[in-house]
Amino acid sequence: MTDGTTTRISVCPLSELRPGAMRLVEHDGIKIGVFNCDGTLYAIEDRCSHDDGPLAEGEFIAEACTVECPRHGSLFDLSTGRPKTLPAYAPVRTFATAVVDDTIVLEV
Amino acid sequence: MATPEAVAEKKELAGINADYKEKFGFHDPESSYAYKAPKGLSREVVESISEYKDEPQWMRDFRLKALEHFYSRPTPTWGGNLGQIDFDDIHYFVRASEKNSRDWSEVPDDIKNTFDRLGIPEAERKFLSGVGAQYESEVVYHQVNEKLEAQGVIFTDMDTALREHEDLVREYWATIIPPNDNKLAALNSAVWSGGSFVYVPAGVKVEMPLQAYFRINTENMGQFERTLIIAEEGSDVHYIEGCTAPVYSTDSLHSAVVEIVAKPSSRVRYTTVQNWSQNVFNLVTKRAVAHEKATMEWVDCNLGSKLTMKYPSIYLLGPEAHGEILSIAFAGEGQHQDAGGKIIHAAPRTSSSIFSKSISKDGGRATYRGLLEVADGATESRSKVVCDALLLDEDSRSDTYPTIRIGENDADVGHEATVSKIGDEQIFYLQSHGLDEEEASKMIVNGFIEPVTKELPMEYAVELNRLIELQMEGSIG
Repeated sequence: MTDGTTTRISVCPLSELRPGAMRLVEHDGIKIGVFNCDGTLYAIEDRCSHDDGPLAEGEFIAEACTVECPRHGSLFDLSTGRPKTLPAYAPVRTFATAVVDDTIVLEV
Repeated sequence: MATPEAVAEKKELAGINADYKEKFGFHDPESSYAYKAPKGLSREVVESISEYKDEPQWMRDFRLKALEHFYSRPTPTWGGNLGQIDFDDIHYFVRASEKNSRDWSEVPDDIKNTFDRLGIPEAERKFLSGVGAQYESEVVYHQVNEKLEAQGVIFTDMDTALREHEDLVREYWATIIPPNDNKLAALNSAVWSGGSFVYVPAGVKVEMPLQAYFRINTENMGQFERTLIIAEEGSDVHYIEGCTAPVYSTDSLHSAVVEIVAKPSSRVRYTTVQNWSQNVFNLVTKRAVAHEKATMEWVDCNLGSKLTMKYPSIYLLGPEAHGEILSIAFAGEGQHQDAGGKIIHAAPRTSSSIFSKSISKDGGRATYRGLLEVADGATESRSKVVCDALLLDEDSRSDTYPTIRIGENDADVGHEATVSKIGDEQIFYLQSHGLDEEEASKMIVNGFIEPVTKELPMEYAVELNRLIELQMEGSIG
């Protein structure tokens, strides 16, 4: 579904992404990690701003709502996309999430 | 013909030159040591270090996670030859004394004599605001000027800081260099011990330098200190470190992590005079952040070690922040100095400079490896990188690996690099003014490094010049 500037894509039923879990999706060549931080959903691009390496499959701490880049250890705040530690200093792209009819939806 | 003064100086230098081994390369007996971990790295060793130090659970977890990172990362193949290091042939924790004293008379005699020979208490009396002395894995003496303490300045060893200022340490710990940053940072994070913790409250200017001295004594030793400096808004501090070790036929490893936070409008200068013996691998990660209008300066002098790989970096995160790196490397026979610096402009109107000077002789190898990055949006930023290398003979080697990434059109970046040899004409010109060949050569080298030495406190400039003269002895003819 497209409203002119953003496209809505379905990720999965909410029941399939339990608190503490992450799912990778791909849309138009962009990989996106969708995270369930103890009930709140966040989505970031799967690309570390430090060296463009994959990010979303790093260590995910749901209580802190952070993911750690597996390559050089930068810790990212999933709610803002901002790094909490170096060596990354620029935020990663974030995407709005919603639950529509029990399905997780991303605005890309 | 040489002047009488020059002859006397030459004799004196010849005397000193008998030499590193005598002046710095001696070692003490270990009979009174409190604890020496068996060689090798394991989960048990890491846990025992944490247990010995009675650390909080979060630090123990941090260490163990870092150990996994260390195991999972390959040894870097760029830079120097790290394949020579046998990580199983190292003592990862050696406690020489049960106590960290604030009274010099309480320091065990052997250790006290060592630091006396190295001139540490004398330096403290003369011109320092505070002194820390680390011997093997832990700090054995620490003192800070009472007036500074009254102003809220904290200067203590990292183990004590973790006990007495846990919240402050935890807030900044590993935020600048996370354990997974690189393999050696992971190793340090797993087995760290000692190092300095410096906290300067807002607006406080520490007029005289704080100094830490690091000494390895035992054979096949690994020293893994961890230093964290926090300069609050508008504060000013200069920290100096020096290091030496005994001469052994087997290798030791020094792998430190240094993190610095320069808050808005603060100024931090960090000076290193690295003079490890030539059986020490010196693999250090140093990184600083400079917030708005802050100034961060690294003055990095590398004279000793078998192999040094060290690239102090500065992230200019706030508008108008300024960073400077002055790097000097001296590579003699059997040495590889792989040094340089990294500066990242991540905010508008930031400015920086990197000046690197290297000298190679007797087959030594000096490498400049640097990064200059200007991020998109760091408008009106300015930077200058200058790398000069001086080769003293045909057998020596100099390499330059500058990386420059510019993501912003509105930036002014310059890079210059030179490689030169001491020419016969220069020597001849100076000889025509009454100097002999060796003196002429020393004078050229001293002139070459003068931009760095003039930035050092006088006592250190004198020491650096003396050390370089020592290295230069016998290099002509």
